[in-house]
Amino acid sequence: MRDDLPGNDPKAVWLNQPTETTSPMTVTLIQQRFRDLHARTRRKLLGTLAGPAAAGLIYAFAVREFAALHQVLQLLFAFAFGWSLAGLYFLNRGMWSSFTPGDAGVGAGLQSCRREVERRRDLVGRVLLWSFGPVLLAIGTLILALAMVGARDQGIFPNGLPFLVLVVAWIVGYFIVRLREKRELQREMDELNDIEKANR
Amino acid sequence: MESIPARQASQDDLYREAADKFGSSLERLTSAYEADPGKRRDLRQDIHFQLWRSFQRYDACCSVRTWVYRVAHHVAVSHIIRERRIFSTLVSLEELEMLPDKTEGSSAADRHLNLDRLWALVQSLKPLDRQVIVSYLEDMDARSIGEITGLSPANVAVRIHRIKKVLAKRFHEGGRKGGNDAR
Repeated sequence: MRDDLPGNDPKAVWLNQPTETTSPMTVTLIQQRFRDLHARTRRKLLGTLAGPAAAGLIYAFAVREFAALHQVLQLLFAFAFGWSLAGLYFLNRGMWSSFTPGDAGVGAGLQSCRREVERRRDLVGRVLLWSFGPVLLAIGTLILALAMVGARDQGIFPNGLPFLVLVVAWIVGYFIVRLREKRELQREMDELNDIEKANR
Repeated sequence: MESIPARQASQDDLYREAADKFGSSLERLTSAYEADPGKRRDLRQDIHFQLWRSFQRYDACCSVRTWVYRVAHHVAVSHIIRERRIFSTLVSLEELEMLPDKTEGSSAADRHLNLDRLWALVQSLKPLDRQVIVSYLEDMDARSIGEITGLSPANVAVRIHRIKKVLAKRFHEGGRKGGNDAR
């Protein structure tokens, strides 16, 4: 029987897997990791600018295209832009975790796992509320503006329709994916909470 | 492993000793979390970097080994979440036990345990169960597994029992059966 082979012992197979000689953390490697971390931080910071940038661009486009913008629409655009600017603060405040690798060492796997899932779930929620929400409002207002102009002048609305449909489809898709992610993270949180309860 | 004089040793010394002692284990740990060789190398470097940083805060509240594994697992779990691995595609040990063995009915030679299949099995597990199975495969006792994962002894015992059943079912575990190691 094959079962008698020593290669059938999972622990032996696991422990004898080929490994590279791991070089300790040299100064060069530390500097490189710091650079990587800074680059990642910069990318995240740039990412948080996407909301206000998109809301601002849509606002600017609407002002340029529809010179006599309706008072209500002006207000909606301004609100979306202000909302996205406030989002910059709230997104950045929550994005940078105070949880350090040292904390992970002090706490056990279950706690750090829970904390990480919780952090990610909150982050997804904040992105939806503070970054995605204002852009959605700005686009909605733009569509309203186009519809209002379209009612008077049949030219603009039908021409921009395919583009708008694409934008709306992308937004809806993005929203669904993020919501699903949030729900999954919540499920994971619930499971970890159950394990924690059973642990007591 | 507890012989490292934690209070006197500097961050660098602690890290160097830990890396020497647990370097291979950490590499095996990364293989449990990342299948792609390039990303695995990055993850390994990340773990080492965060480990080096973490020793700034090490105050001998637990053994160096426990500390190293807690930090390493945390970095790896963050990596999974950051990479947006969908949790719904990962299974718990309980679910894995219920799942039909795809190799059922195949020849004994096919069922022979190999590293790729073991990796695939470990990588299909949810983070917490992955921590338990990696610790089990690293030949740790139940108490150490409990310290690393934060699970109660009873909970660890149940999970180890499941791991043994799954491994035996999937690989017709032979030899010493790996059964009496989880003390």
